[in-house]
Amino acid sequence: MARMKFLCDADRCIECNACVTACKNEHEVPWGINRRRVVTINDGKPGERSISMACMHCTDAPCQSVCPVNCFYTTADAVVLHSKDLCIGCGYCFYACPFGAPQYPKVGNFGSRGKMDKCTFCAGGPEADNTKEEYEKYGANRLAQGKLPLCAEMCSTKSLLAGDGDIIAQIYKERVTKRGYGSGAWGWQTAYRESIAT
Amino acid sequence: MLIKRTERQARRGSLASAVANTSGGGFDRRTFLRRSGLAAGGLAALGALPLSSVRKAEAGAPPAKGAAVTIRKNICTHCSVGCTVIGEVQNGVWTGQEPGWDSPISRGSHCAKGAATRELVHGDRRLRYPMKLVNGQWTRISWEVAINEIGDKLADIRAKSGADSVYWLGSAKFTNEGAYLNRKFAAFWGTNNSDHQARICHSTTVAGVANTWGYGAMTNSYNDIRNAKTMIIMGGNPAEAHPVSLQHVLEGKEMKRANMIVIDPRMTRTAAHATEYVRIRSGTDIPVIWGMLHHIFKNGWEDKQFIEQRVYGMDDIRKEVEKWTPEEVERVTGVPGAQLERVAKMFATEKPATLIWCMGATQHTVGTANVRAFCIALLATGNVGAPGTGANIFRGHTNVQGATDLGLDIVTLPLYYGLVEGAWRHWSRVWEVPYDWFVERFDKSTAADGKVTNTMNTPGIPSTRWFDATLYDKKDVSQKDNIKAMMVFGHGGNTVTRMPQAQKGVEKLELLVVADPHPTTWAALAPERKNNTYLLPIATSYETNGSRTASNRAIQWGEQIVKPIFESKDDNEVMYLLAKKLGFADQMFKNIKVENNLPVVEDVLREINRGGWSTGYCGQSPERLKKHMANQKDFDMVTQKANSGPAKGDYYGLPWPCWGTPEFNHPGTPLLYNTNLSIKEGGGTFRARFGLEREETLPDGTKRKVSLLGNGYYSKDSEIKDGYPEFTLGVLKKLGWDKDLTAAELAVINKVNPTTPDAVSWSIDLSGGIQRVAIEHGCIPYGNGKARANAFGLPDAIPVHREPIYTPRPDLVAKYPTLPNRREFRMPNIGFDVQKSAVDKGIAKQFPIILTSGRLVEYEGGGEETRSNKWLAELQQDMFIEINPIDAAERGIKDGAWVWVTGAELDSKARMKALVTERVGKGVSWCPFHFAGWFQGVDQRPNYPKGTDPIVLGESVNGLTTYGFDPVTGMQEPKATLCQIRAA
Amino acid sequence: MANLFAHIRFMLGALALAFIIAMATPAAAQQPSSVNPTASAVKEQQLLQELNRIQGRISIPDARAGVLEQPAGRDWRNFHQVTLRWIGGIAILGMLLVLVLFYLMRGMVKIENGRSGRKVVRFNQHERIVHWMTATCFIILAISGINITFGKPLLMPLIGEPAFAEWSQWAKYAHNYLSFPFTIGVFAIFLMWVGANIPNEIDSEWLKRGGGIVGKDHPPAERFNAGQKLIYWIVVLGGTASAITGYLLMFPFYATDIAGMQLAQIIHGVVAVLFVAAMLGHIYIGTIGMEGAFEAMGEGTVDVNWAKQHHSIWLQEEAQKGASPAAKGRMAPAE
Repeated sequence: MARMKFLCDADRCIECNACVTACKNEHEVPWGINRRRVVTINDGKPGERSISMACMHCTDAPCQSVCPVNCFYTTADAVVLHSKDLCIGCGYCFYACPFGAPQYPKVGNFGSRGKMDKCTFCAGGPEADNTKEEYEKYGANRLAQGKLPLCAEMCSTKSLLAGDGDIIAQIYKERVTKRGYGSGAWGWQTAYRESIAT
Repeated sequence: MLIKRTERQARRGSLASAVANTSGGGFDRRTFLRRSGLAAGGLAALGALPLSSVRKAEAGAPPAKGAAVTIRKNICTHCSVGCTVIGEVQNGVWTGQEPGWDSPISRGSHCAKGAATRELVHGDRRLRYPMKLVNGQWTRISWEVAINEIGDKLADIRAKSGADSVYWLGSAKFTNEGAYLNRKFAAFWGTNNSDHQARICHSTTVAGVANTWGYGAMTNSYNDIRNAKTMIIMGGNPAEAHPVSLQHVLEGKEMKRANMIVIDPRMTRTAAHATEYVRIRSGTDIPVIWGMLHHIFKNGWEDKQFIEQRVYGMDDIRKEVEKWTPEEVERVTGVPGAQLERVAKMFATEKPATLIWCMGATQHTVGTANVRAFCIALLATGNVGAPGTGANIFRGHTNVQGATDLGLDIVTLPLYYGLVEGAWRHWSRVWEVPYDWFVERFDKSTAADGKVTNTMNTPGIPSTRWFDATLYDKKDVSQKDNIKAMMVFGHGGNTVTRMPQAQKGVEKLELLVVADPHPTTWAALAPERKNNTYLLPIATSYETNGSRTASNRAIQWGEQIVKPIFESKDDNEVMYLLAKKLGFADQMFKNIKVENNLPVVEDVLREINRGGWSTGYCGQSPERLKKHMANQKDFDMVTQKANSGPAKGDYYGLPWPCWGTPEFNHPGTPLLYNTNLSIKEGGGTFRARFGLEREETLPDGTKRKVSLLGNGYYSKDSEIKDGYPEFTLGVLKKLGWDKDLTAAELAVINKVNPTTPDAVSWSIDLSGGIQRVAIEHGCIPYGNGKARANAFGLPDAIPVHREPIYTPRPDLVAKYPTLPNRREFRMPNIGFDVQKSAVDKGIAKQFPIILTSGRLVEYEGGGEETRSNKWLAELQQDMFIEINPIDAAERGIKDGAWVWVTGAELDSKARMKALVTERVGKGVSWCPFHFAGWFQGVDQRPNYPKGTDPIVLGESVNGLTTYGFDPVTGMQEPKATLCQIRAA
Repeated sequence: MANLFAHIRFMLGALALAFIIAMATPAAAQQPSSVNPTASAVKEQQLLQELNRIQGRISIPDARAGVLEQPAGRDWRNFHQVTLRWIGGIAILGMLLVLVLFYLMRGMVKIENGRSGRKVVRFNQHERIVHWMTATCFIILAISGINITFGKPLLMPLIGEPAFAEWSQWAKYAHNYLSFPFTIGVFAIFLMWVGANIPNEIDSEWLKRGGGIVGKDHPPAERFNAGQKLIYWIVVLGGTASAITGYLLMFPFYATDIAGMQLAQIIHGVVAVLFVAAMLGHIYIGTIGMEGAFEAMGEGTVDVNWAKQHHSIWLQEEAQKGASPAAKGRMAPAE
């Protein structure tokens, strides 16, 4: 059974933000909701690295565990999805998420949170695949169309990889061997409790 | 709610079962790698990996609409890499964007702009209909009224002030056909005041490189950088300006463990991935290159055979370089000798090596000389004309290469024929319009001595100085009258330095027409302007058909994805309508079919083919280009050659020169000057463009003649085993090859020049016969010459260092002054006076911080289009200035705080946010150049027509930039000026 | 607490880093003679070891998005899923158990001399409105709060996910909106009764004698005995703490970062469950634990004998005041 993962090769990432706008484009994500973002560490200094980050679809996902209403579920591909019908916008998943993935539209007067929105690994939500309802709540369901997440597909330098964890780990490993350096599979230890030995 | 629950459980079940059912039919490894765009990445040993098990798609059914999906292929409009855009269209609406995996250039990738490009055609902030400014109010008008009123006003101005009073500012966003029509339009109108963005980005590159070895374009390609062992990126930040190019750069770097050296005043995002970063002072490129050559010559690392056979004048360079000792280089540039020696050694000895540059090199008063120095470094180390080498010049817009080629320029007709009589006669023959008709269309100017010249042969006014030509005293402008009308097609108003002057210029114009998808800065800059301003809504490139030339000279055909939205029309239609109104449509479109006011673009391209011999734009017929787009998958990613399929043997996009007629089936030239291939397969030699020999005066006063032709080198399969001049019928006759010409070809040649057919050359032979015969004999039509290290004829034949006009080192001005004042391009250039006065006034003390500028990945050019794109605008919401932590601390400036930046000229000032970072060194600041809509502290949002204001506005850096022009091209100097910063 | 510790460690680390940067700046700004950016790339594991958190620059104007990784989220999850449930379970169930046992052993504390039939005003209408408003809010806040922590294992299996989500959604709205009247109530309680709730010697005597709850003794007390004062301060301090931490969570990122919000949630959760446990005790005494107590807040008056038994000093004071015209009417027969 495939285990879907993201891997951002920081030695390739140039903070071009293609992943960010590809996500906006594919899912018509509104202003203020950032399902994916690129963070630059040591900005402007030698050693600077940028990392594209979204929901990592963790193993034993903390969001799923802390959700008071159990709105999360993990698919057979190990993609962590949620139901906006169940979500109450409590914000607990945001406290628990190691990657800052959950996003909340601001509703009401005092910054209170609407229903949580996050990266779906382009796999939609609980509604029937590729229906209008699913699209409006969660965006496109590319996985059901046999496609991978658009962010990774459009990555300018093939830095962001998405797909079967074993395959992308192998690709990363080969890259590091070939070029002789690698700053690590960012987030893997935290998300998957594993690192890629290189 | 309870129903939902049922649904949800069903859904969970269905997913699991679906996965189970397709365990054999999901993604196999191959499909996965392809969909990840990694298939060609050299990842072989993955056989034992478990298969992914995503369900197989039936069809990419996008959200819910259920309508049939049409796939259309176009080219991203945001830089010159040429990424393929795949649009999914339903019921005429662009509903989805998919990666273009098959493109050998982009392999599915995009940057932020490309991945958000669909929004342009949703057009939340686009102009919807033609508008006119009536007493300061934007008023809707019809296309008919717009064309009529504009046409009448143009005719008035022409009658009163002459044809040269109207400036036709075109665009690098045009398709090739649009660019060609725009230049042709200016010719039919009767002026050479026709320019576009190349003036302000790579005009100096084109001039400098062409003057070195023949053609002023990228010699190799983005893909070919993969072959380099050493790459120097100098004055460019492709990680932000050309992100997809970094795919080739970084993969090449990884595969070959190549040296990647970034030389820049700013530690850019590109530098973050380099193996060596060299920080230099802005505007000292020549000393840095000379410093490298100093080490190279001293240690004998130069390629002596290459220089001997293929380069003219390298000894003159040696003399100049001797002066640049490591100590002097460090004093002027700040680069330590040891570091430069290391870089020089890598560049000269770890070959192949390539030099990549961009606007950091070109936008200086010494732009042309900078570029010349870069070429000389490549020549000295023998790094031209082979895979992994070359001058890899990254151009800026989708089709800035094509628009340059097609002569949207003040110094030439299409395809670099120049403005001489022969050029006009050539195009007259192609257009089938009498030469004398054009002579009549142009103004005649009378010099003080009474000599009358026809302005058809004199270069026009560069776009960097249109407002000077508007504001200067009439007698200072060498044409009948000042510039009275600006016809702006697809060009931002904030891209030229000295915007306070531009604002005055806009106020003074008698007519301003902005033909653009957006109103642009032109519409908002000068609120004092109340009338005689028209906005014409133009379709984007996605709403039109046509070809585009990427930076690597490859031409790609773009399909219209959707019809022009709102009331937009494409450029070609507007030009036709204007030509019709002005009365020359019949002549201009004589050989171009027009359907419903739309010129048929295939016909336009065929006309280009019929006249484009000089640059090898003759073989790329629309049919061949469409075949390439349909069979992208057949082309190899590194070599760009199709190894199978209908286009087998061709190089992707038939990179120019693609010799002969389309039927001749030349494969295109992926690498210029590559002697390892025969000409027929895309090889070449340096162009014999600068004469056969040159008379030199030796130190003892004696004179000798030195050959400028290749010395004992030639391309593969050449029947002439040495240098040779360009081909004419006469040359063919001497060689006895004229009998290979067909009767039909000979007839055409005789028709071109009935009196002296022997003088008909390869570039004006409309039959293509001379080219064909030369190539059949393994020879390149333009001759086999030497590249010039000494480019006699240029103001600085040997590049010498000259301090920027506004230099932070006034102490160096005495030794390295800018060129003396002079007249060029119909205007005075008083750079010398300005530099002297800045030194005398102690400007460097009052404005102690160097100001330089560059690109952000999210925005492009003047930024009106991209700042109107909600997916991009969200990512960069404020204009900012990067400032070093030490400078910030001295001024009490905090990261993210508002600051006032004041410029060294015109009492200019701008309010923006501070970004405190070590990316810039102490005493240096950097601004992105995409912002506009605030001016000198004033928010100009109300000046835009309602609903068309870009989402993000900000101060333009060009509100602060200063005087200074390259003597060869009129290039501005925004990359090295001075400013002061204080907390707001 | 692991998370708190991690937070402090982060703060110290950040300070240390800032110091290092400050020290390094002048040197770094010098022209570096050799820089290999690739070789000096930052490494994830190293950054995590230093600060247990990775933070950088991001172009969108949303500071929180600059935090790339905060593995502390996993620790917080442990608190929420395990620690808080234990604390809450022990506190609330423990308190209930204690009360049940106590009731079984002690039964209802009776008015020893029987009802006199004469009433004395204990809480005026204003005081009672404030009390009941606060109490009502508290009960709803407590139930909706407990729902967040315990609803998933306890209630959801009974009513199903959609119904539970629907209920929880309303509970969340109630929790958010009722926080405002509750906060006002706590503040009013603080002002209203602070004078009578300053601990003094009588309280220590009262406590020494077991407050009359344990054993048969009835130590003298003022208007509020030490036990009530304890409840008062639990309400005031616990209410304030819950309110502050609650508002930090309700207005995310206005005043804190993600680590601060995690800490706020921990405090909010722990204070809340202890608060609930304490209030259970308060409710017990005010209802079935003691005869004649409920009517103090229910009707506003108590039987004189009740007052004599539990608040002898206060009764005397009231009686003296009764002589003065100003206090006329405060002692009145039951209607």
